[in-house]
Amino acid sequence: MYCEIDPRIAEDKGLSLLRQETHRFAEEVMRPAAATLDKMSDPARVIGKDSPYWDVLKQMKKLGYHKIFIDPDYGGLGTSATEAHIILEELGWGSVGLATVIGVDQVPPGVASIFGMGDVIEKVVEPFVEDTEAKYHSCWGMTEPECGSDYVFLCEDSFRPHVRELHPGQVKAVKDGDGWIINGPKSRWISSAPAATHVGLHVTLPPHDSLSNGAFCIVPLDEEGVAKGKPIDKLGLRDSPQGDLAFDNVRIPDDYMIIRPPFYEYRVGQIICVTSCFMGAVFTGVARAAFEEALKYSKDRVQGGKLLCEHQSVKQKLYKMFEMVESSRYYTRKVMEHVWSKTYIEKTFDASSRHALSAQICATNAAFEVAHEAMQLHGGYGLTKDCLVEKLFRDARASLIMDGANDILSLAAAYNIVDEYQ
Amino acid sequence: MAIFPSKEWVEEVLKLAEKSEEYKEASKDWEGDFLCIIECDDEFLSDLSRKEIMEGFMSFLDMIPEERRKKYKGSSMGDFMEKKLGISLDASLKGLDLSEKLARISKLSAEDLSGVALYFWADFWHGSIRNMMGVAPGEHEDAAFKLSGKYSSWKLLVSGQQDTMRLVMSNRLQLEGDMQYMMKRMKAVVALTKEVLAGVPID
Repeated sequence: MYCEIDPRIAEDKGLSLLRQETHRFAEEVMRPAAATLDKMSDPARVIGKDSPYWDVLKQMKKLGYHKIFIDPDYGGLGTSATEAHIILEELGWGSVGLATVIGVDQVPPGVASIFGMGDVIEKVVEPFVEDTEAKYHSCWGMTEPECGSDYVFLCEDSFRPHVRELHPGQVKAVKDGDGWIINGPKSRWISSAPAATHVGLHVTLPPHDSLSNGAFCIVPLDEEGVAKGKPIDKLGLRDSPQGDLAFDNVRIPDDYMIIRPPFYEYRVGQIICVTSCFMGAVFTGVARAAFEEALKYSKDRVQGGKLLCEHQSVKQKLYKMFEMVESSRYYTRKVMEHVWSKTYIEKTFDASSRHALSAQICATNAAFEVAHEAMQLHGGYGLTKDCLVEKLFRDARASLIMDGANDILSLAAAYNIVDEYQ
Repeated sequence: MAIFPSKEWVEEVLKLAEKSEEYKEASKDWEGDFLCIIECDDEFLSDLSRKEIMEGFMSFLDMIPEERRKKYKGSSMGDFMEKKLGISLDASLKGLDLSEKLARISKLSAEDLSGVALYFWADFWHGSIRNMMGVAPGEHEDAAFKLSGKYSSWKLLVSGQQDTMRLVMSNRLQLEGDMQYMMKRMKAVVALTKEVLAGVPID
């Protein structure tokens, strides 16, 4: 276990226990399941009836990990930002794919618990928080075949004058009596879509001329007109199934339309701030996992007549990896505390997006660089499927693109920095 | 315990806003008045059948000077008062026989409330509420923000049971005005709900 330097945490027995217990779950349950899922050549098997995917999901729900991002007034776990970060780092350490599964699982009920009212609370949020058998499983449908990173720019006030230059969006909702009708496709990158029962969906509303004229709604995926694609075959996060969704005259009740204009363009960025913090925490876990593998291997492997760790060049590499992991943890934790406060405590929803985006960029860059160095230190063994760093490297590489490519995230943050940094 | 809407409720809100350091701090740079429109619904009718609520309702309308109160004439609210409740908008509201009015209310249904609305105006300025009063239709139409919705939704807001954002997001209250200005000052909106409105329990 890493040395915690924040005295608020190090001296708190409850937090230490939380970390130990989550770590035990990550090590004993998540890692073996993730290894099995990762090696499945057919991605459809990952969500097959007897797949360990469901067993892990059930266990995560029994432990309450699906309630971290739910408003405590509506059945959320009521964790502090620090507790959330500790849990998520450990889950990311165990398997960032399965951590992503439990992360996106919370987006629809989480957003509904913060902004929703009426039927959506009773029929979606309440059954979801009470579920310990994985009967309810959600995903987050944002990107579209022709409209991917465009959405990231919505989180920047500074970009608002340019939003109409972006793609206007492909999934459209129109009012129909006391409900809404939805049509259009979401892209193949929707995490958990092939296995999910509900989606938190981003749509545009008439006149469908801009993403800013959008809305966030919840769609039960057993509604008539919903089509789910097959899980895609991919490089990293193979334990997190991804696939497309399409909507053909799918109807939802009015209460399931959670965020609508004119608030959507001001609130969608705050959702991204929360998910970016999630990414920051779980990929800190990936970076740490890769570093720990490298350190362990360097103390065991003899090369040039001595242990790897006795070579000065290796020592320097290990130091650099350590520095990246620790920087990532304390920066992303601090940003999560800020975003958490604005979202769940003060409820002012004015978190600094440049900090949230940079938490994701910082952690994913750290994860990739550390995993890359760890693989290099492992030599030829690091390229084999038997070696954990091989999986960590693939997962870390995917993180530079998933949930917004880092190039785009940094560009969006830059608009904010240029306009608002004083 | 105050009746919403009533003169007493307005006075309590103003008193609490003046006392609350949290509210003053959170809204210290807020500039912008609100025209609030309460659309009367089934719950209003049901509440109005209680004597104390009826008294509160009368005290609220009595805050509007007689001359300006006449502007309700011809509106749905004016018709509701004059034709359904038998209350003249030309005369003082003091000393009315409320038991007779309550008897009339017991015979009304939701259909009699179609388009009936109450208006009040609140002027928020740098940490204080400079003014809050019942107003007549057509007054303060140029307010920076307009917040409208059913009486039952307003009750959820002023009782602190629901926050403004949730009510607005779910379309239970409709908000018009400079959204960017408001979104950047949510601290003031949250403090108004939590520290001031929720601090005045309503009956």
